[in-house]
Amino acid sequence: MANKFREWIEDRTGLSNFLKVALDEPVHGGAKWSYVFGSGLVFLFILQVVTGIIMAGFYSPSSTSAWGSVYYIQEKTSFGWFVRGLHHFGSSAMIILAIVHMFQVFIFGAYKKPRELNWISGVILLLFLMGFGLTGYLLPWDQKGYWATQVATNIIGTIPIIGDYIKIIHQGGSDYGNFTLTRFYAIHTFLLPISLLFFLFIHILLFRKHGVTPYWKTSEEVLKNRIDPFWPYQIFKDVVFAIGMYAIIAGWVFWNGGAELLAPADPASNFLARPEWYFLFLFELLKYCQGNFLIVGTVIIPTLAVIFLFVLPFIDINPSKYPSKRIPFFSAVFSGLVAVVALTTIAVYHDSHDIHIQHQKEDLEKQAARAMKLAARGIPPQGGTSIFLNDPVFLGEKIFKEGCVGCHKLKGDGGENGPDFTNFGSREWVSGLLKNPKDAKYFKESGVMPPVSLPYESLLDMTEFLLSQSGDLLNKNNDRIESGKDLVLKGNCVICHPFGDKDAKKMAPNLTGYLSETWLKEFIRNPADLKFYGARNKMPGFDKFSERELDALVQYLLTLSRDRILVSEKDGEKRPYLFGLSSPRTMTDFKNSSFVILQTGLETTKRKSM
Amino acid sequence: MENSRRKFLKIASYAIGGTLAAGVAAPIVGLAVHPWLEETVYGTEDFINIGKLDDFPIGVPKKTTITSSKIDAWNIFEGLVMGSVWVVRREDNTLNVFSTNCPHLGCGIDWGADVNQFLCPCHGGVFDVNGRKISGPSPRDLYAFDTKIENNNVLVRYRKFA
Repeated sequence: MANKFREWIEDRTGLSNFLKVALDEPVHGGAKWSYVFGSGLVFLFILQVVTGIIMAGFYSPSSTSAWGSVYYIQEKTSFGWFVRGLHHFGSSAMIILAIVHMFQVFIFGAYKKPRELNWISGVILLLFLMGFGLTGYLLPWDQKGYWATQVATNIIGTIPIIGDYIKIIHQGGSDYGNFTLTRFYAIHTFLLPISLLFFLFIHILLFRKHGVTPYWKTSEEVLKNRIDPFWPYQIFKDVVFAIGMYAIIAGWVFWNGGAELLAPADPASNFLARPEWYFLFLFELLKYCQGNFLIVGTVIIPTLAVIFLFVLPFIDINPSKYPSKRIPFFSAVFSGLVAVVALTTIAVYHDSHDIHIQHQKEDLEKQAARAMKLAARGIPPQGGTSIFLNDPVFLGEKIFKEGCVGCHKLKGDGGENGPDFTNFGSREWVSGLLKNPKDAKYFKESGVMPPVSLPYESLLDMTEFLLSQSGDLLNKNNDRIESGKDLVLKGNCVICHPFGDKDAKKMAPNLTGYLSETWLKEFIRNPADLKFYGARNKMPGFDKFSERELDALVQYLLTLSRDRILVSEKDGEKRPYLFGLSSPRTMTDFKNSSFVILQTGLETTKRKSM
Repeated sequence: MENSRRKFLKIASYAIGGTLAAGVAAPIVGLAVHPWLEETVYGTEDFINIGKLDDFPIGVPKKTTITSSKIDAWNIFEGLVMGSVWVVRREDNTLNVFSTNCPHLGCGIDWGADVNQFLCPCHGGVFDVNGRKISGPSPRDLYAFDTKIENNNVLVRYRKFA
């Protein structure tokens, strides 16, 4: 039966003959490890296709739903993070392998007559790969993709005369929106794959026509006598290489916990735009092409480089494949490589040594982590950024930047009248204050309190005790709290600072519940109250804040400390409002619930369909 | 010699290629079957609050809309009207909450105040105030929902009947 079926198929299709032709391709000079790169790229392409198609089944290309759907793939499905990671790092692997493949071909002189078109189709494929990278980067619609792609489309805009028109067509309007995503998605998933397949077909067809280009020292005799059939000799090497690559990519995905997903794109923010690493050299190049010379970096140099690659087989017409006979071309191509590597290195080095950029990166990671937490309860239909609308921390940050940063420095930015709020309320911050209140970071000359002249360990004990009053301290150390309590209550502190009764007044601020929510709120409302600074106060009171604003500001201040549990990570018992502000309906629903209860509630109701 | 090498390479290629294909396919399939593993569209509330007990007159069915929120994959839709129910409050303050859809073919059921019966306008189904079938083509009594009263609030476990 099976035999008959096979015969029938064979009769109607001629399949085995086709397979024979495909697989028995003679490899002159023998199968070689140096030939695995091309097939490796085909494997990676297939990997991109299958991971891409499966993700397309979850992804939604619109400005209100793109981030949410990628968030869903990343956080809510069992293997989504891994598949997305494969796709993300697979694209990097493809770029690397394509470059390696190109250099192998170049070094072996495989672009020379009669293989000119082979080379040219390869260059086109490389350009397509970059197109994939560029369009794919935007699709998650997160801060990174959104802002980096803005740079790319603006670069298109610098092309003389037609630039603006191309840009508008490309992004589907004069600004980013739904059409930008639908277009990028269509290009990424239809136009580019189809075009790539077409040129890949030509590329492989031409390769089959002309065969491999062996190592230049291989003698004619070996070429003639040593012939391995493609299957299994070369295929064996190819699959070993492919599984090796897959192991590395999969390992890389595990190591990184999948691909990064930052907070949803916020057109109002000023994000640090950085392209994917393989475009960094172009990005860095632009720093040196200023003013009217911008076009040199955006259009002229890249165009010249591409033209050079296209015409290479026609200007290097010496039939010899020996590198020693091709020194000018070797130096041209390798100096190009050196320039790209150097520019990339400079870009990476510059970013890693810029404290502002590092701080910004930290903030982005925090924001992203917060976005993940907030999105867990569902994203309102207004889109990704709406998860922040009711987030007190987000609002608090805004209030801080509007009302506080004039006097309080934060991570290097801001005024110097008041204490620096970097890592505010952390062990480091409080112990530093105890050590020297007059320090430039704290009260400067207006610091009346004498430094606590105790060993550093004792300062830490006191700090631990003081901070333990406000709760949510990470890794609380009870021994320290006990000895700190003795130091504070039996030492000199209580001579000036009231302790134990929240409303007691002495000459220095009342430390009952120091840095707790209530303490901070009362303090911000009226720092000149007699239980705080009294006549010595220099900070204006902020009693104009509504309860909600004040609450938000305090929540934000609490997140500044690295020693505190993030608001969103807590069980949230005390903060039912966290999710309750969007509508009266949810207000009642969630009044007595909390983040955790809500989440577990979802778990239990999940199984019951509507 | 050469033949056995060739054979070995063939088997090895199949084995490695098969492992590779399985390794790629596993997470892909794992992701593809996600909708089997987890509900993607569901209501956020088990029991839905439909109002105060006193909102419902004794003995007279009252039609009430069910408003709740729904999770749809990554989205949450709040304040969404999910459907409506007939609420009948009895003398002893217990409640009957019926689906407004006829068990026959799902038409919307009306309350005939003049005859004190639920009437289906499509195929003439008739039900009494307790939802019991009196006549017509319906295979059963009206669908009823679990209810409970908490702090004078009426809560209904609403769901769609197939």
